[in-house]
Amino acid sequence: MKIIIINCGSSSIKYQLFDLATREILARGQVEKIGLHGSFIRHERNDGDQVTLEGEIVDHQAGIEYMLGLLTSKKRGSLKSFDEIDAVGHRVVHGGEKFHDSMLITQEVIKGVEDCIDLAPLHNPPNLKGIYAIQSLLPKVPQVATFDTAFHQTMPDYAYMYAIPYSLYKKYGLRRYGFHGSSHRYVAKRACEILGKKAEDLKLITCHLGNGASMTAIKGGRSVDTSMGLTPVEGLIMGTRTGDLDLGVLIYIMQKEEIGLNAINTLINKHSGMLGVTGVSSDMREIETEACEKKNERAILGLSMYHYRIKKYIGSYMAALGGADAIVFTGGIGENATRSRQEICKGLEYMGIELDQVKNKAARGKEAIISKDSSRVKLMVIPTNEELVIAEDTARIIKELK
Amino acid sequence: MNHSNLNKMPERLVDYSLSKEIKQGKNGGLQKVGVIGCGNMGQEIVRTISQHGIDVIYLDVTEERVREIRVELEQKLDEIINKWGLTESEKRAIMSRITGTTDYNDLRDCGLVIESINTKLRGTSLEIRKEIFRQVEAVVDSDIVICSNNSTLMISDLAAALKHPERAVGLNFITPSTSVRIVEVIRGKDTNRESFEFMIRFINKLDKRPIMLNESLGNVSTRLIVTLINEACEVLMEGVASVQCIDDTMKLGYGLQLGPFEMADRVGLDKVQKWMDNLYFEFGEQKFKPAPILKRMVRANYLGRKNGKGFYLYEEGKIKGHLVTTTEFH
Repeated sequence: MKIIIINCGSSSIKYQLFDLATREILARGQVEKIGLHGSFIRHERNDGDQVTLEGEIVDHQAGIEYMLGLLTSKKRGSLKSFDEIDAVGHRVVHGGEKFHDSMLITQEVIKGVEDCIDLAPLHNPPNLKGIYAIQSLLPKVPQVATFDTAFHQTMPDYAYMYAIPYSLYKKYGLRRYGFHGSSHRYVAKRACEILGKKAEDLKLITCHLGNGASMTAIKGGRSVDTSMGLTPVEGLIMGTRTGDLDLGVLIYIMQKEEIGLNAINTLINKHSGMLGVTGVSSDMREIETEACEKKNERAILGLSMYHYRIKKYIGSYMAALGGADAIVFTGGIGENATRSRQEICKGLEYMGIELDQVKNKAARGKEAIISKDSSRVKLMVIPTNEELVIAEDTARIIKELK
Repeated sequence: MNHSNLNKMPERLVDYSLSKEIKQGKNGGLQKVGVIGCGNMGQEIVRTISQHGIDVIYLDVTEERVREIRVELEQKLDEIINKWGLTESEKRAIMSRITGTTDYNDLRDCGLVIESINTKLRGTSLEIRKEIFRQVEAVVDSDIVICSNNSTLMISDLAAALKHPERAVGLNFITPSTSVRIVEVIRGKDTNRESFEFMIRFINKLDKRPIMLNESLGNVSTRLIVTLINEACEVLMEGVASVQCIDDTMKLGYGLQLGPFEMADRVGLDKVQKWMDNLYFEFGEQKFKPAPILKRMVRANYLGRKNGKGFYLYEEGKIKGHLVTTTEFH
């Protein structure tokens, strides 16, 4: 079964062609700078053949046309014809309260995704453009949408509600939705497989630590709480986002700096987080270098804040779950930053979290258990694979059709 | 698709297009916009366009001025960064899309040209703008839309200078145009549907709401704002209330962001007077006759925020005191 996975951003498209029979990626690529000057497509086949072609790519539809052209071409392609494509899977950021699982795309589902545009004005519209493009180019090929928010729809109401007037929840759907759903779901599933346990029997805390970062408490395979909220700005400290913040600070800044909504939005999303605190960078590697080699005080402070925030969330999710069987680290930082993992786990031995220094240092970008054998809570590193989740969901839904 | 000759020919993106009419150039995305005249408003337009991912080339009179404008654009972006509205990397991206020139030939490949000159001359700038329209038309393709950004000239009068008047569309960005959410788009008597709809799409692309108008001097915005300012001047001259009281009444009473005098200072008193002169000339109505205090202040070089003194005194762009009060009430 061959499936194309598409992730449309505002001016980019990332894609992969999967052969699910062999779980192999046959080709992958990206279209960049759509509608802008200098747009290009970079395409790579699994035998190493690769090409970058510059030219005018006016919209997502044109980008997807070129993608399909490359995938079926004699010279660069991996497919003989479009008939070989069994399905197309799309990453869709916001599914609101409507979508609890990946969905076969129908007119009704498209309407549902359109209804969620207000909740994700920057993300859902380009996701939809990808769906429309495939609809018009490959009308017979079934499409599936996988939502970043769907996995968290199992949260209980007391975890997802904000303490704001209830009427605003009813009016606008203002509540915690959470993101990175496919990633949390993937690593939770892998954790069960690695530990040889059933999902029903496990309590997990998953930490997706990348440029954006979120944590999820998972009980019996279901998300019961997550750190991101209505938008991805809540929760952990991120590269350039504040994470949790006293709302009074926002009002104070707006008054004192005499700035409006656009500027405050930029401030909390782009000027804050690790970049804002350290003044060094949003990149953890650069910050660690500054802290370790140059003893930069703000870099040291930033790292301490970063680790402390995660530690606090571990504590609160321990309480929410009534203890955990494993803590999973994933995402660029989670998979590679040995020092961060060490700092996060430091001092948590009393709750059965014991990191094995040697195993931790050895685990970079590959699956590993990094806790001591005696540790009651297993510590794990599991590289995420959101595309595989989309591909598998797509295959499952297509099979149900047949 | 024919790939048989791919090995001989250099590989191109279009070789992989599925449809024959793959969208290119004019039919598809707008790649480059020309802006003529780069005073305050011209610069705001340049920044807004570039901020939305489109290349901009600005044209001004001298090489020196072209260099100065680049510095001014950077300074303004730095101010926005200092107010948290932008990041350094966004600034670099915005500046990388902006070039300057003094040569009309450099506008050749523009998909749209906007004239936005800022003339210091008294009286009408119609002839200067017409000449610009002629020079633009001489270099761009015959179906490229040419706009004039102004509020008190008729786009049809400007279009008369063109061989293809159907491509002329009027625009009115309102300052500060980076944050004002509307732009007036004006249909002249010859403007064709394609050109007008192209401009509606363009304004939407800038995340602004196009206000579609049939041409009339002063559009909606200028006609209504100058009469408010002028009436406020009359009230002031009659000694009814002070500048501060009139502004507060309109701000607190009617929820305006700026009172009429603050607004006049922001627009520039010379500009307000010029708008009114043009409207008075066109309509001949008393309500458009500039109040004597306005004329007196312009003569005395009290121009508003731009030179730090108008109805209010300004320091670093902020109100520091009053310059004009009125009959004291004791």
